[in-house]
Amino acid sequence: MSRNEIDILKRALQREKAARKAAERILEDKSRELYLTSEELKTTNLKLEELLDEKSTQLQGVFENIIDAYVVMDLKGNILKFNDPAIALFGYDIDKAPVNVLRLIYKKDYKYAMQSFKNLKKNGFFTNYSARIYTKSKAVKWVHINASLIFNKQKKPIAAQGIVRDITELKNLELQKELLLKKLEKSNDELQEYAHIVSHDLKSPLRSIDALVSWIKEDNKAHLNAASLQNFDLISNTLEKMEHLISGILNYSSIGFDSVKKEAVDLNTIVQNLNTILIVPEHITINLKTKLPIVKGFKTKLEQLFQNLIGNAIKFIDKEKGFIEIDVKETPSYYEFSIKDNGIGIDKKYHEKIFKIFNSLTKRKDSTGIGLSIVKKILDIHHGEIWLESVVGEFTTFYFTLKK
Amino acid sequence: MKGIVFTEFLDLVETKFGLEMVDKIIEQSQLDSNGVYTSVGTYQFSEMLQLLQHLSANTGIDIDNLLLVYAEHFFGVLEASYPELLATYKDPIEMLASIENHIHVEVRKIYPDAELPVFIVEEKTAQSLVMVYKSSRAMHHFGLGLMNKTFEHFNSTATIVLEKIKADGTEVKFIINKN
Repeated sequence: MSRNEIDILKRALQREKAARKAAERILEDKSRELYLTSEELKTTNLKLEELLDEKSTQLQGVFENIIDAYVVMDLKGNILKFNDPAIALFGYDIDKAPVNVLRLIYKKDYKYAMQSFKNLKKNGFFTNYSARIYTKSKAVKWVHINASLIFNKQKKPIAAQGIVRDITELKNLELQKELLLKKLEKSNDELQEYAHIVSHDLKSPLRSIDALVSWIKEDNKAHLNAASLQNFDLISNTLEKMEHLISGILNYSSIGFDSVKKEAVDLNTIVQNLNTILIVPEHITINLKTKLPIVKGFKTKLEQLFQNLIGNAIKFIDKEKGFIEIDVKETPSYYEFSIKDNGIGIDKKYHEKIFKIFNSLTKRKDSTGIGLSIVKKILDIHHGEIWLESVVGEFTTFYFTLKK
Repeated sequence: MKGIVFTEFLDLVETKFGLEMVDKIIEQSQLDSNGVYTSVGTYQFSEMLQLLQHLSANTGIDIDNLLLVYAEHFFGVLEASYPELLATYKDPIEMLASIENHIHVEVRKIYPDAELPVFIVEEKTAQSLVMVYKSSRAMHHFGLGLMNKTFEHFNSTATIVLEKIKADGTEVKFIINKN
């Protein structure tokens, strides 16, 4: 072997040795890296296991603590899981014998149930299913169900779960309420008819008495002394007051019985038109302080509301120069109106009483004690409030609210 | 560049030209690695370039042809190391067309730091394929050798024409027609 060949082989051997060492070092590093990675994976796995345990416990807690029935079934309707409330509701022990959901569906709700099941498959859920079911003892119960599909890792549906609430009591109450409402409606109708007939029937004998009394008075004018004549006038006034009373009852009883719909009512027009209905004496001025709003309500009733309140104000002004001020304040949800007069005023102790029917504070023949109770009733219909401030002998301010 | 490219290259040089040639081209080159290569290491491409240049100078064979021969040898290494990957293909055209979207994706899983050429498919039929090769290494003939062997692997042959898009060979069009 030549010197040259030996050198070549030596160098080749050196390279091979160095390469082996380099490879060993690289592989050593790699295996260390792998070891560290596997340690990391172990820690991560441990954490994941802990998380899984935690979530499972949470789910188990939900499953056990939920008040409503919780049901899991496969896609053929076989019940897989019932929590305790579900067992209590349906009466089945699925560990003893398998139960299919079809057996639970009330016959008449079958179609609805199938449609809901279709929706569940199509959309992955349904909500607010409300129908009847049979329990094991063949009792019928109303239930409300929200349900959703359970998917596997490949996003394929494998089961369905539902929260089932027993709403039998609620349904019964609803039915009872409906019955009661119908009953109430009927008796209201009867009552209104009754009030109408009674007041109508009361009016005609009243008119006869009035006519007869005036005839007697005319026929015997010459023979009657001043006291008797005055008594005749009193009879006549009382009769007139009686007629007002009866008209008032008729009015009162008919409030809230129209089928008229609410509309936008311009209160300015209403107040302006009042001049044609009410007789405003010359010494009284009505002052509209601001422009009134347009509100949603029943036009004729709102007319009556203003008519009664302003009419009252006119009636009870005892000053030489009378004034009535109408004003309104706006809040975010309602309007607050005020009608102020400088009349006789109302004592604080009567502030509540005056809104009750037949509670007139005066003995005037044109004051029946119905006007303010009608006002109150109109405000009730419009969900409004009424109250007042007053100083006897000085002023009275009625406040009332109307929703926007 | 992956170490296996160097070790296989030097093995081939030793087989074809003898250990003396291996020693010569290493001695003539300026190598950071001192010519010490292991298949699991990674080395600079400039070392491969120097080895190729000196081999070419010593043998009188141009670099393209050296690369062609080396690629044909290297395909055998791939066949031995990754038979499963090759088995997923039934047709050479299919396999070549999927270099970018399948093979190189797999390569990156094993060697995240691998610097790979780009192969863009421009036209493809059952019998033909037009691809553009892009790489700063200009090792298009290495690609050509692998392609030849690919057809051979599937017991077929093809006529492959190379058109240089850039004169330095960093962008080359492969026009492949199955025979």
